[in-house]
Amino acid sequence: MQDHGSLVAVLNSTWFASGLEPGIQTRLAELSRTFTAEAGQELFREGDESEVFGVVIKGRVALRTLVPERGDFTILTVEPGDVYGWSAVVPPYRSTSTAVAIETLEAITFEGPALRAALREDAALAQALYPRILVAVARRLTATRVQLMDLFAAEEVRSW
Amino acid sequence: MAHAPVAARPRVGVVKFASCDGCQLTLLDLEDELLSVVDHFDIVDFPEATSARSAGPYDVLFVEGSVSEPAHLERIVELRRRTRFLVTIGACATAGGIQALRNWGDHDAFRAGVYSNPEWISSLARSTPISEHVTVDAELRGCPIDPHQLVELLTALTTGRRAQLRDESVCMECKRRGVVCVMVSKGIPCLGQVTQTGCGAICPRFGRGCYGCFGPREQANAAGLTRHLQMAGDRPREEIGRLFAGFTAYSEPFRSMVTELGGARTARGATTTAAGPAPRGGKA
Amino acid sequence: MPVTRSPRGGRPTIEGPGFLARADLQFLFDLLREDGRRLIGPTVADGAIIYDDISSVDELPRGWGDEQSPGRYRLRRRGDEQLFGYVVGPTAWKKWTFPALIPLTRSSHDGHKVSFEPEQTPPPKLAFLGVRACEIAALAVQDRVLIGSEFIDPDYMVRRANVMVVAVQCTTSASTCFCTSMGTGPEVTQGYDLLLTELDAGFLVDAGTPAGRLLLDRLPLRAASSAEQYGVAATVAAVRARIGDPIPADGLHDRLLAQLDHPRWAQVAERCITCGNCTLACPTCFCTTLSQTTDMSGLTALASRSWDSCFSPGFAKVAGGSFRARPRDRYRQWLTHKFATWWDQFGTSGCVGCGRCITWCPVGIDVRDELNAIAPPVPLSPESRLVEPVAATPNDFVTARVVNTKAETADTTTLTLTGVDPAFSHGSTGQFAMVALPGFPPLPISISRFLPDGIELTIRGAGPATKAMCALQLGDQVGLRGPLGNNWPLDRAVGRDLVIVTGGIGLAPLRPVLHAIVADRRRFGDVKLFYGARTPADLLYRDELDRWAKRDGIEVSLTVDRAGPDWAGRVGIVTHLFDQAAWDGTNMIAFVCGPERMMQATSTTLAGRGVSASRIHVTLERHMECGIGLCGHCQMGKYFVCRDGPVFSIAQLGDTFGREGI
Repeated sequence: MQDHGSLVAVLNSTWFASGLEPGIQTRLAELSRTFTAEAGQELFREGDESEVFGVVIKGRVALRTLVPERGDFTILTVEPGDVYGWSAVVPPYRSTSTAVAIETLEAITFEGPALRAALREDAALAQALYPRILVAVARRLTATRVQLMDLFAAEEVRSW
Repeated sequence: MAHAPVAARPRVGVVKFASCDGCQLTLLDLEDELLSVVDHFDIVDFPEATSARSAGPYDVLFVEGSVSEPAHLERIVELRRRTRFLVTIGACATAGGIQALRNWGDHDAFRAGVYSNPEWISSLARSTPISEHVTVDAELRGCPIDPHQLVELLTALTTGRRAQLRDESVCMECKRRGVVCVMVSKGIPCLGQVTQTGCGAICPRFGRGCYGCFGPREQANAAGLTRHLQMAGDRPREEIGRLFAGFTAYSEPFRSMVTELGGARTARGATTTAAGPAPRGGKA
Repeated sequence: MPVTRSPRGGRPTIEGPGFLARADLQFLFDLLREDGRRLIGPTVADGAIIYDDISSVDELPRGWGDEQSPGRYRLRRRGDEQLFGYVVGPTAWKKWTFPALIPLTRSSHDGHKVSFEPEQTPPPKLAFLGVRACEIAALAVQDRVLIGSEFIDPDYMVRRANVMVVAVQCTTSASTCFCTSMGTGPEVTQGYDLLLTELDAGFLVDAGTPAGRLLLDRLPLRAASSAEQYGVAATVAAVRARIGDPIPADGLHDRLLAQLDHPRWAQVAERCITCGNCTLACPTCFCTTLSQTTDMSGLTALASRSWDSCFSPGFAKVAGGSFRARPRDRYRQWLTHKFATWWDQFGTSGCVGCGRCITWCPVGIDVRDELNAIAPPVPLSPESRLVEPVAATPNDFVTARVVNTKAETADTTTLTLTGVDPAFSHGSTGQFAMVALPGFPPLPISISRFLPDGIELTIRGAGPATKAMCALQLGDQVGLRGPLGNNWPLDRAVGRDLVIVTGGIGLAPLRPVLHAIVADRRRFGDVKLFYGARTPADLLYRDELDRWAKRDGIEVSLTVDRAGPDWAGRVGIVTHLFDQAAWDGTNMIAFVCGPERMMQATSTTLAGRGVSASRIHVTLERHMECGIGLCGHCQMGKYFVCRDGPVFSIAQLGDTFGREGI
C-alpha cells in the first residue's frame, strides 16, 4: 500500500518534481507508485510501446541504442532527479531507446495510459507538469547536441 | 608545598639569619590582622616581638635571612629538625639576598680590605639560600615580603588549604592595575617580565623598572630578555648583567646571566682601600 | 554644569550627519554628565595616552600623537590642535566592561551547612568617548563570547548595557595597526551611539542608535556640508591606504592549523618571555582565574575573578602537571586560538587588528611577522612568483630528454622529460612550454606534471607535429622554451571550496593543480573534479583519478559522451554533472579547461550556481608560434594569450569570451 505522504516527500526531493503545488503533488502521488529494479534489469526496449514514465530516485538508468555495425551504445545515463520514458506522454508513445538499470534502481513511476488520461482531463495538472517535462527533454536535447558536436574528438576533423 | 598541620593553635617561631629584619617586621606590620594572628597562632619564639623564648618544637617556623657564617650551617639543620613546617621569608632566605653578590667575588680579599682584623670576622665565602641546606616547605619571596601574601599563607595554614601564591610575571599585575609599561613607553629596562609577581607591581607604579626582588619566576626566559636588551639599545654587556645583579642575583637564571655578562664585579686584588660595591652606571 | 537650554533653541532636527564646532565639544561632555554618566576618555598620563575618567575637553590629549612599533610606544607633539590625532593606547575598554578584578561569590560555612551568595555589583552608567573601529569590533567579540551563547556572564551583561559608545573615526594610523586585514576598520560602520570624526574646524557627528539620536538632537549642530563629508571620507580612505593589508587573512584559519609542527614555534619561543602582556593588553582576551580570600577562621570567604593569561605556566596545570608545559606550546595556543580556533568557537576572528600586542610586547614580538612566517599565504600576485623562462627568444630552444613514455589513450601520450633547465621544475601549475622538433612547427603544450628534475607533457596526436612527439622513444630529445604563460591562481583557492571542470585533454593542464592540492590537502575546502571524455577509453590518468577519489579527499565525477554496455558510469555532458547540484557556489572558485564551447557552457552553468565571474578561471588555446607575444598570432581582444594568459578569469575576458570572431 502506497503512502501518499511519503510519495509526496520523495517526489519533492527530485529536481523534476520539487516545488510543485501541494495539490498537484498529491495528484501525482495518487497516480504514481514506487518501483525498484535490480542492476542489469531492462526497463523497456527501443521501439516498444512506451508504457512507463519514471522519475529516478536512486541509482542510474542507461539509455541505449543499437547501431548495427557497431553495437550497443549508451547515449545517456539518467541520474537521480531526472526522468526517463518521456515518450509515454509524447506521441507516438514509442520508446526511442532501450533503458537498462545500471545499479539497483529506485524510481517513482507512472503508467503511460493513466498519466495521459489524467493530463487530458486535469487542466491544472497539465499546466504544472508539461513545462517540467519540456525542461527535462530540452536539457536532454542540448546534451545531445553537444554530444553530437563530438567536442573531444581529434582537432583536425575535416568532415565538412 | 606540603599542606599545613592541622593543629588547633599552631606553635609558631620566627628566626633570623643574615638579614635586615624587614621581613619579620612585615608580620608585625599586619595591623588589621594581628589580633587574628595571635588568636590563631601561638607565637612561642619571636625575638623582635616578644621576650618569650622557645627552643621548639615548632609547628611553623618562619626563617628570615641567608646562611652567611659558619655557625648558621649547624643552626639551620637543628631548627629544621625541630620544625614541622618551615617557611622561608624574603629574598635573603629564598635567594641568598643582596649579600650573595659576594659569591662572584673574592671573599677573603673583601674581608681583608674592609676589616683591620679579618681573623675576627667569621663568615662563609658564599651567602646561600636556606633551601641549599635543608628542605623548605613553603617560601614567601620579596624584599621585603608582601603583607597580603603573608596573610594568605597564614590563612592557608589555619584553614588547611593551598596558599594562592601566583607564579606569574609582574607584568600581569601591572596590566591589571593599568600601569603603563615603563619598558615600552620609556625604554627603561624592567625585570618584571622574568620576575615572580606578589608585590603588586610597586616599582613600575612609580615609574621605575622592576629590579627582581621577588626573584625569577618559573620558566623565566632571562636569556631572551637579555638578547632583546642587547639588540634594542647600545648597552654594554656588563650593564645588562648588573640589572640581574640585585637582591635575587644568586637564583637561576639570574645567576647565569650575571656570570655570563658580568655585573657583580670582583675585587681588584686585596688592597687597603675598600672594594666598594660596583657603581651602577649607565642609563636607567 | 547642567545645560539649561537647548543650544539650538528649537531649530528643526538635522537629517544626516551634523557638524559640531570645536569649541562646542564641551557641550557633549556636559550633556553626558547631566544624563548621569561617568565619562571615560583618552588622556595623557605616565607617558602614554590612556583611558580614564575625564570631565572636560581640556583633559583630552590636545596636539598629542603617538608613535608605535613592536615593543615601543612614544608620545610626540603633533604641532596642531587635534584632540584625537592618535590611535589606541595600552588601555582597552574591557577595563570597565570586564574589569581586572571583581568579587564574584560570598560564601560561608558553619562546619556543616554551606551558603553561596553571588555578588551583585551595581555598575555606574558610563560613556566611552573615543572608541575606535577596532575597539567597537572588540566589544562585539566580547559580547559574542560573554553574552552571546547559552551561558552568559551576568556581570558583563549589566556593565555592557550601561555603556554609551561615542566612537571616533581614526584619522591616522600607527605602524602596528592592521584592522584592515581583520576586517574591523578603519571605517566605523556600526556599534556606536554617536560617531565623531575630527576635521580642522570641528567634528562630523552622526548617530547610530535612538539613544545617540536623542543626544545628537541636543547638541549645537548644523548640517555637515558635502565638502566636510568628503573630507572625512578622504581622510579615512587615506588611513586605509596607509595601513595596507599586513596579514592576508583569507584562509588563515586553515593555514595556521595546518602548521602545528612548524619549526618557527620553537624559534619564537626563544624570544617570548611568556610574560602575558599581550593577552592582558588584548581587548578580546577573556581568560580569568578565581582566587579565594578568607578570614583566618575560614568560615567566610570571598571568591574573586581576575584576568589571567594562557601564558602563565600554571594556566593549564592539573594535579599531574601542566598540559602546556613548554613556552612554545603556550605561544602556539595563544596564536592559534586568537586567529584560528576562535572562528570555530565563536564564528569570528579573535583578533581585531588593534596592534596592542605588538606595541606592548616588551621584547617586540610582532604577530604579523609570526603569522606570515608560520602560515604564509600562497603568494597573491602570481606574476611575482613566476620563474624566468629559458630560451625566451623566438629563435632559441633548450633540449630535454625523454625518459619515459606512457600511452594514456589511443591518441594521447605522456612524455616524461629530464635534463631540462631547472627553470622548468620551478614552473607554476597552468604554465606551458613551446615544444619543438626540428622541421616541425613548435607547439604550445601544457606541462602536466612538475618533478624535481624534469617535467611531464601530455600530448594528443592530433596532427603531424603532435603525432611525431607522441612517437618519441626513450632517450630521444626534444626542444623546449619556457615555462611560459601565467598560472592557475591556486592561492585564491586556499581556504575555499574548489571546482575543477575539465573535458578531454583539458585535464592535462589541471593535473599539476590536483597534485598541489593533494600535497597540502588541508589548506583547501571541498575539492570537486568534474571530468568528461569522449568514451571511457579516452579518460586520462585513470589510476590517479582513482587515487584522488579514494585516498586524497577529492570528489571525482566522470562522464563520457557515449559508451558501450560495459560502462556503468555516467553518460552525458560534463555540465550535467553539476547543473542540478544542490551546492551554493558563492564562496567557490572554479578552474575550467576543455574545448572552448565546453568552457562556455560550463561558465554559464557555474554562474547559475552562484560562482562569481572573477572566480571562474579558464585556460585558452590559440594559435601560437613563439609563445612569447612576438609573433602576434594568439591575440584575443586586448590580450596575448601566451603572455597575459593562458589562464584568465571570466571577469577579465568579459564578453569577448564565447563571442564569435574575436
